[in-house]
Amino acid sequence: MRIAPTMSIADKLKILADAAKYDVSCSSSGSSHRGDGKGIGNTVAAGLCHSFAADGRCISLLKILFSNECIFDCKYCMNRRSNDVPRASFTPDEVCELTMEFYRRNYIEGLFLSSGILYSPDYTMELICQTIYKLRTVHRFQGYIHVKAIPGADAALIRKAGFLADRMSVNLELPTAESLRQLAPNKNRKTILKPMKLIQNGITQNRNELVLYNHAPHFCEAGQSTQMIIGATPESDYQIMAVAESLYQKFSLKRVYYSAFVNVNQDKELPALPGGPPLLREHRLYQADWLLRFYDFTVEELLTEERPNFNMMIDPKADWAVRHLEQFPVEINRADYHLLLRVPGIGVKSAQRIVRARRFGRLTFEDLKKIGVVLKRALYFITCNGKMMYPTKLEENYIVRNLTYQNLAGRKEKQLFAQDGMRYEQMSLFSQEAETAEISG
Amino acid sequence: MHMTEEKYLICEDSIEGIFTGIYDAYALKEGHEHLHIQIGEEENLRLFASYLYILPDSVKTRKVAETIQKRLGTDTYMSICRALATEDAGKGQAVYRTVVDGITNGSGRRVLENSRNPYVDTVFRLARCAGNEIHRLMEFLRFQELEQGILYARIGPACNIVSFLMPHFADRLPLENFIIYDDKRELYGVHPIGKDWYLVSGMERKPEEELRMSEKEEQFQDLFTMFCRTIAIEERRNLKLQQQMLPLRFQEYMVEFVKK
Repeated sequence: MRIAPTMSIADKLKILADAAKYDVSCSSSGSSHRGDGKGIGNTVAAGLCHSFAADGRCISLLKILFSNECIFDCKYCMNRRSNDVPRASFTPDEVCELTMEFYRRNYIEGLFLSSGILYSPDYTMELICQTIYKLRTVHRFQGYIHVKAIPGADAALIRKAGFLADRMSVNLELPTAESLRQLAPNKNRKTILKPMKLIQNGITQNRNELVLYNHAPHFCEAGQSTQMIIGATPESDYQIMAVAESLYQKFSLKRVYYSAFVNVNQDKELPALPGGPPLLREHRLYQADWLLRFYDFTVEELLTEERPNFNMMIDPKADWAVRHLEQFPVEINRADYHLLLRVPGIGVKSAQRIVRARRFGRLTFEDLKKIGVVLKRALYFITCNGKMMYPTKLEENYIVRNLTYQNLAGRKEKQLFAQDGMRYEQMSLFSQEAETAEISG
Repeated sequence: MHMTEEKYLICEDSIEGIFTGIYDAYALKEGHEHLHIQIGEEENLRLFASYLYILPDSVKTRKVAETIQKRLGTDTYMSICRALATEDAGKGQAVYRTVVDGITNGSGRRVLENSRNPYVDTVFRLARCAGNEIHRLMEFLRFQELEQGILYARIGPACNIVSFLMPHFADRLPLENFIIYDDKRELYGVHPIGKDWYLVSGMERKPEEELRMSEKEEQFQDLFTMFCRTIAIEERRNLKLQQQMLPLRFQEYMVEFVKK
């Protein structure tokens, strides 16, 4: 289906926002600079979420495709060539106008621009570059810009985009090369990893330039990210997390996003998922991702070949803790920061506050509560001044039952877990009710 | 053993009022533990206590502000200012005793890390609370374009934070005339193009209906509202999570929720 040339900007926005919604990243963090007083915009290190959609995901950027026309035919994608859907393409000026008018009303923090492959990767990447070049120069826009690097596009174009954008991303799409071959016949692992490497090199080189020349232009100041679709193909959590870990290590990615598979095409080669997208699984992967990035965990500590999937009933950190009871309880007034981070119920902020506050004197359970430690989770794993909060068994099944009971309190599982003799090995038999989770940002 | 009389310094609810109170409390040179900073009059006067009425004084305020910045650091100073933007009745006393902990008891620049002191803990919590509110309004505030291109935003924040929002938006939108109006406190922040921003209070307010929107305003409101609805994934619908992230008290000021 071809586009009518008279399509209004509202019609285009509807089609091209709808076509972009399965891209997870909406973060506007990682860049921080003030405006120069001669244009519009600045960036805030922590990022800003301007609204939240009905699915609870944050809306930080104007997330759109430049075009949803595509020469590729990826089985999971609603914009694939073989689908009969309404097609549209913006002009660079239309994207600039929407971005500027939304931004000055404080609707958005900037632009997220992706695209279907229009004619060729180079042609598409060129259009993306043109658009953001106009935004930066003609409109003097200094807010956040995230653009996709189109796999297969010329290295010079990707480099050009990197000097205009705060963040770039290339989607890995699927965790293994084999799955990619099956579901995305026009893509392959090599064409995806190549631009990723280019961006990584650009960032490293730029960092060196910035050391020498303070005013050298920035290249992807907020780094690069990627995403994988979860649940469309048979990979285990262990395989997925191992891929994520190597992306962080080998490609210095800022974020890896996980996207619970939604079967938009009802393709017979893809799972039907009658229970809806695997949201709880996605949630567990994000929790584990956090453990890798902020809690000094490695994938090998969390999962193994023999135990390749996360426990759906308790979070990965609690799961690790109950399987390593020999390391607990830890003494709050003595344990080093890294050990504190491993205690369920203690997050990065409370661990930092504990380390600072205990310089002024010994901490009590009351102090911990004020600091923000979740005592009902932590109490099995800590002592304050040699004492536990109250006597409790340091026994795996007992602790798991208690942690799980709290997790699901108020839900129908509550009665199930209150029953005596419940062992947590059995728990995964129960329904995998999705938890609410903040997954964006 | 004779009992020391408790003294209550009654201060105005403003940074100036409370900083003047702190200055006068130090000037009394009595034990800090018998001095109390109280905001506004109390209904039931205490027996065996005396009350001093403190008039805001700009010289004393500046001295206290400079001392806090020098001795406790700029970050602590900013936290104290944020704590004083909240509506908490005990904020004056908490700030006073936090300053005492930092300066007189010697915790200095680290004072806010001393969460074992309940006054310090209060200041920390209040500052975090106001900080969160500032962050959320940076996100959730919505401008609309009036005739002549002026951007106008109406907000109803839980704390008195217009003066914290203005620097952010002035940096972001230097070439715009904009106004942020706090309808709970009838306070305006005004930013004229290329000039410094300022606050105006006690001005008679024009009813909202009389504000005339620019020609294109409605179109962009509709476009954004449509965008927000389109970007949600139906299979992931979760209104509880949406409301948890974006409480209703903000939604009533936001175009994408108000528009039908």
